[in-house]
Amino acid sequence: MDSSHQAFWAGQETYILRVFLPVIIGFLVLLMGLMVLFALSFWWRHYRLWRLGKDENRFDQVATRLKGFFSVALANITIWKELYPGTMHFLILWGTIVVFVGKIVRLFSFWVGLSLPPQDIFLYASFASETGGVLVLMGGCMAVLRRYIIKPSRLSNKPENSLILLWGLAILLTGYLTKGYRIAAVGVPIPSDWFLWAPVSYQVSRFILILPSESLNELLVWHRVLIHALPATLFFAYLIVCHSPIQHIFLSPLNVFFRSLKPRGVPNPMLDLEEADTFGANDVSQFTWKQLLDLEACTNCGRCQDACPAHVSGKPLSPRRMTQNLKECLWRDGPKLLSVPPDQRQPEPLMGTTVSEDELWACTACMACEEVCPVSIQPLGRIMELRRYLVLMVSKIPSEGKHICKGLQHQGNPWGISRGSREEWAKNLGVKKLSEEAHPEVLFWVGCAGSFDDRNKKVAASLVKILQASAIPFGILGTEESCCGDPARRVGNEYLFQILAKANIEILHRYGVKKILTMCPHCFHTLKNEYPAFGGEFQVLHYTQFLAEILSQGKLRLSKPINKLITYHDSCYLGRGNEIYEAPRKILHSIPGLKLVEMDRHRNRSFCCGAGGGRMWMEERIGRRINQMRTDQAIQTKAEWVGTACPYCLTMLGDGIKELNQEERMAAFDLSELVERSI
Amino acid sequence: MGTFFRAIAILTELAVLTTAVYVLLVGVKLALFDFGLNHKYQGFIEFVVIILGCLALVFLVSHVIAFYPRVSP
Repeated sequence: MDSSHQAFWAGQETYILRVFLPVIIGFLVLLMGLMVLFALSFWWRHYRLWRLGKDENRFDQVATRLKGFFSVALANITIWKELYPGTMHFLILWGTIVVFVGKIVRLFSFWVGLSLPPQDIFLYASFASETGGVLVLMGGCMAVLRRYIIKPSRLSNKPENSLILLWGLAILLTGYLTKGYRIAAVGVPIPSDWFLWAPVSYQVSRFILILPSESLNELLVWHRVLIHALPATLFFAYLIVCHSPIQHIFLSPLNVFFRSLKPRGVPNPMLDLEEADTFGANDVSQFTWKQLLDLEACTNCGRCQDACPAHVSGKPLSPRRMTQNLKECLWRDGPKLLSVPPDQRQPEPLMGTTVSEDELWACTACMACEEVCPVSIQPLGRIMELRRYLVLMVSKIPSEGKHICKGLQHQGNPWGISRGSREEWAKNLGVKKLSEEAHPEVLFWVGCAGSFDDRNKKVAASLVKILQASAIPFGILGTEESCCGDPARRVGNEYLFQILAKANIEILHRYGVKKILTMCPHCFHTLKNEYPAFGGEFQVLHYTQFLAEILSQGKLRLSKPINKLITYHDSCYLGRGNEIYEAPRKILHSIPGLKLVEMDRHRNRSFCCGAGGGRMWMEERIGRRINQMRTDQAIQTKAEWVGTACPYCLTMLGDGIKELNQEERMAAFDLSELVERSI
Repeated sequence: MGTFFRAIAILTELAVLTTAVYVLLVGVKLALFDFGLNHKYQGFIEFVVIILGCLALVFLVSHVIAFYPRVSP
């Protein structure tokens, strides 16, 4: 090291040791004590709020949970699904981490003698904290541009959002100024390589005026350090103590760790129906602790709102707004509930105040909100709990919902058509019933739509013909089959769902059924993912999986060409619910001549047809019809046909085509019908 | 040139200091309501915060003009 370097570093160390370190140590001592208190108070406050909720085990499969935790918290993989917000968040997060690492290394380097002469690690740490700050500034600028200039409708600006951005800017600017003053005030020529190790502060130091004496300059640097350290310390306090969006840095990763590992869209079962005093949720304490953590972990990013078909079609539901309103209620009502003994609590009711019935019944249970949430929040689970309260506690359900339940209760189907006519569709098809044939390889679970709806009866018949052509022995339950219970469960009638589910499971056990083939993704989801909670463990396949498999095995060959352009609509319960995206496409690619063109929203981003959540049987009185919007999206592809693998979707798309007078331009088919044509 | 440069430096300094004071005062205001202060006091709190902000600004302007270095870098 030459003499100019030594003089510079001696001057730097004087300022660092006399001015910077005492301030930092003073703050650190104060900070450490306060931080411990703040941290304890932070976690204690939140823990107590979450403990208001019901128990739920989320401590299983720790390795899987940790993997998800790190991939979201550090790599931001779920946020990268959208490039601009992903880049912005990544820059701010990693810029902050790099600043902290650099600062901590530099702070401790003085005590271990790394600073005079400066060792490589000290210099790299200086570079790291400088460039980390630049990354944060870049991310911050992107955030300001997006939040205040581009202004996407899904973002709602609160004073806290502006405060955090401005506060971060103040800390960074004062940090660069402090270091710039320190460099400028040293009074000796600055070594040229410092340009590399402090690229920003070095430039700042060139424009800084200094005082004529060393003592005055020392005082000046004191000022600067305090002006930087005070806002930085108070920012930590604000971050930990106040309910602000910045708390997501603790709460969102925690929420990801405790995320549901069950298949998506499976409501929490109510296993104590006979003993329970209350059903569902009408105050915050009736949610589970994880559902309360969900509320606090919401960053208000609005991705769920953009994906929600109910919101996009102009209905009053916004999953983002509902979550934020429930969070406000938790923060408002939670401390009051905690201040009195449990038996004297008078919680604030949610229905009619925090949540309206219109927004609750607008949900199509399509899971799009859960799919896009970067921090694994599950609005659908909460909506199910609120519906359960309305239906089971106060019998408030739209009139069409009442008809569904009545039909299910008396006839085992949501249309209320006579149970005896359930097997009429199969007349003349040579289908055996399980009561007639002892042990077929496969049970074909027809479902209510395939049994009673005229359009879907044709689909069931096509599927039968395919199975027969493939020489696969199968049977049906006939009149012994009842609705799987999906419509009852989705409208909140858990009691009716369990009656149907238990009756079906009993029949399936009686016949020793092992393998079930379903036509409807809703039946598939319910039998596969929801029946196991009630003792119904079966191998359940959707027909698209089954057909894709026999096509690849060569058991079924498609030879007749269909020279059409088709677009495929992913059903929510096949796609998002069970991640079956490839099998239907494999079937379409197996049909000679058929060309597939994708809609903009396809696979996991697919737009609901509007029939889920019991809405298949309900009128859409508010906003635009969701099925028409989806039909429009299909028409935009210029396809001649739209294919699907769900009876609900087929009905809704067929109706959409008719309502939009597009029958000459487009037709809706089920995939099994196309396969049958091509055999 | 030196006077002009000094004026620019003072304005920059004031902008940074004002930002720091502003975020601290807004932070205090939001924290008070977050701790449960009734929103009926919002007007009063904002009045107090504005007064404190003005006082801080007056102090900073006079302080920086009086003591800011007069020598060139």
